[in-house]
Amino acid sequence: MAQPSSTPDLADVQLRADIDRSLRHPVMFFFTTGALWLAAGVLLGLIASAKKHMPGVLESLSWFDAGKVDAAHLNVLIYGWAAQAAFGIIIWLMARLSRKVCQQSAMILFAGHLWNGAVLVGTLCILAGYGSGVAYMEMPGFIWPVLLVAYLLITIWSLIQFQVRDAGHVYISQWYLLGALFWFPWIFISAGAFVFLYEGHPLMAAGIASWFRSALFLLFFLPVAIASAYYLAPKVSGRPVHSYSLAIFGFWSLAFIAPWAGMQKLTGAPIPQFLPYVGAAAAILMMIPAILVGANILNTVRGHATTVAQSPSLRFTIAGIVAFILFGLLSAGLNISSSLPVVQFSYTGYGMDILSLYGVFSLCAFGAIYFIVPRITKREWLSSRFISWHFLLSLYGVGSVVACAIVGGYFQGVGLEQYDQDFLEAAGRAQSYGWGITIAWFFIFLSNTFFGTHLLLMWARLGRRSSHPTLLQSHEADSPHGPEGEVDNYGVANGPAAAH
Amino acid sequence: MTLKGFTLGLIASFGIPWLLILVFPSIGMSHLDPVRFEGKDIDGGEGVYLPPRDGRITLGSEVYGQEGCYYCHSQLVRPTYAGADLWRDEIGGLAKSADNPQDTRRETIPQDYDGETVAHVGLSRVGPDLSNFGRRIHFHLKPGAEVTPEEWILRHLYDPRTNKGYRQNDTQLHAKSVCPGKKGLFETVDAVQGRAEGLDVEGLDDGKNVIPTARAKALAGYLLSLKRDTLNAPLPSTLNHAPGKPAAQ
Repeated sequence: MAQPSSTPDLADVQLRADIDRSLRHPVMFFFTTGALWLAAGVLLGLIASAKKHMPGVLESLSWFDAGKVDAAHLNVLIYGWAAQAAFGIIIWLMARLSRKVCQQSAMILFAGHLWNGAVLVGTLCILAGYGSGVAYMEMPGFIWPVLLVAYLLITIWSLIQFQVRDAGHVYISQWYLLGALFWFPWIFISAGAFVFLYEGHPLMAAGIASWFRSALFLLFFLPVAIASAYYLAPKVSGRPVHSYSLAIFGFWSLAFIAPWAGMQKLTGAPIPQFLPYVGAAAAILMMIPAILVGANILNTVRGHATTVAQSPSLRFTIAGIVAFILFGLLSAGLNISSSLPVVQFSYTGYGMDILSLYGVFSLCAFGAIYFIVPRITKREWLSSRFISWHFLLSLYGVGSVVACAIVGGYFQGVGLEQYDQDFLEAAGRAQSYGWGITIAWFFIFLSNTFFGTHLLLMWARLGRRSSHPTLLQSHEADSPHGPEGEVDNYGVANGPAAAH
Repeated sequence: MTLKGFTLGLIASFGIPWLLILVFPSIGMSHLDPVRFEGKDIDGGEGVYLPPRDGRITLGSEVYGQEGCYYCHSQLVRPTYAGADLWRDEIGGLAKSADNPQDTRRETIPQDYDGETVAHVGLSRVGPDLSNFGRRIHFHLKPGAEVTPEEWILRHLYDPRTNKGYRQNDTQLHAKSVCPGKKGLFETVDAVQGRAEGLDVEGLDDGKNVIPTARAKALAGYLLSLKRDTLNAPLPSTLNHAPGKPAAQ
């Protein structure tokens, strides 16, 4: 990306079209089933949140009991939606950047069905009361090997594509994708083995589960989101990445800091004392990769405000990157020694979970989906209004969830720490914010009905047959995709950044 | 940067923390030495310290996890440097008061989770900490045993807001509770069955009885076993972080 692009010739255009065609079915499968899981996860979140201030909601349906529905909500969001969106992005981006046609799309499609089946069974087990009962790792133990096999069958081909690529420049996005592919199995296997197989101390099992949750986001979902941003920002704005050195520092700071974080959730528990300390220190230092990556991406698109506003992909991606900077700053502020004990057992942790899953990862993933889907279906998005509503309601919704959970959680924590006050006083402080969270989930649900409907129409091949990309404002000569657009790969590919 | 260097960098940057915060602490914590009393003169006890617990702990703890109780309840009494837990009646145990002659508060120790597969440390405190739930319920229920602790907790699991039996604030305390009922852990049967186990709950049709399932009974037994304090079980000095008495001359 950093190097100047050559004028693409016909063979090059043909290659990109072949790659897109070879991956059409698996990628669309991951995105559409992911969107359906997302809608389910958001609805479960709405129920889970409502039960925290209106305990009578759905009381007669024991499958939706509080606790179980919280667990199902987060697991569906993580494994149903986020993981599948990440798979779609990984296999498409790696194929495009390695310039290799995918030979195994049938196998990937099969593994995708396996993954979906495992997530469905796991979620039903959780709702029926037969989950594992480990916070953040509620899928029952027998689901874990199935998920691992499906994961390997989906992503191994991307590693092979990278290995057999024609020698040449390794893009920044590829570092992050390789990192994610390297970290995920290690994290998943070691957490699963230590919690479900190894007969260790129950407190270490709880600690490792906290570490797993933190590492899964910081070392899998986050790298995929950053890879997508490092691809889309230069691609759509037509400018090279701002600074290569910043990119290197950003990557290695994440690789060296993130694996230490997670066990700060057990501060005060009788485990080796350095574990929560080192976890809190790493969580504070997460500010560094957040600022480095954020500065690099934002500087890449600086001066292109119109492009960012017009392109759905870039608009979502930049919102996701801004959310990442916010995540880094909040992670630092909430883990310093004066605030960690206050917020440790409050709504704040949930707010950070949603900020990372929906604010950072999902917004970047939406950006990638708005870019990828027209290319693999050879159809354009139908309605710029749908995309605008999706964007505005998502941003409003996730902003409200995070603000209510973090601010409300802080006041709740302050109330709990004031030990001469009644417990109910502190609990009451959280309840009004709980209302805010419930209403915000409703807005997120609305936003995703726009997204889901739109995506299903595209999946049914009902998109516009046009070489003009769907922009959020009027078509102008200075459109980010060039006057002709480059959606139709057989058409005139143009613009300086159209090379890969 | 070569691919080899890149891979080595990834292995080192991830492998070192993986060893230091996952593997070594897990192995170390799985072989905790039993804690011994120093002898009757110093600790007031002899032999190995075993925290007293009874009930269906392993099964009850599993049900506790499967029902997701840890989303709203914690089970951790933090030391004073990490929070004000020890000063809160709902969390740290019972302080000395007119009704309670002995201060039984203490921090959580690793042995508190013996018999469970995972420690339900908890994610938030929407509800109170449960480390000493069993102790609290014995203390707060009206003397004279109108309702036994087991009946109380089963009724609480069925419908938290209509429960009675506390000696203070009897009806108000739980009226505003946001704890959702777990009606899935109970069965409604014809009154001719399960008469002995039938719960005294409000709003029930005539001729029906609500009886707890095996899971509800295991969960109730587990909750009542949560007495992580020092009543009748003084800590050995190696675990006791409270300032001790000055040594007798």
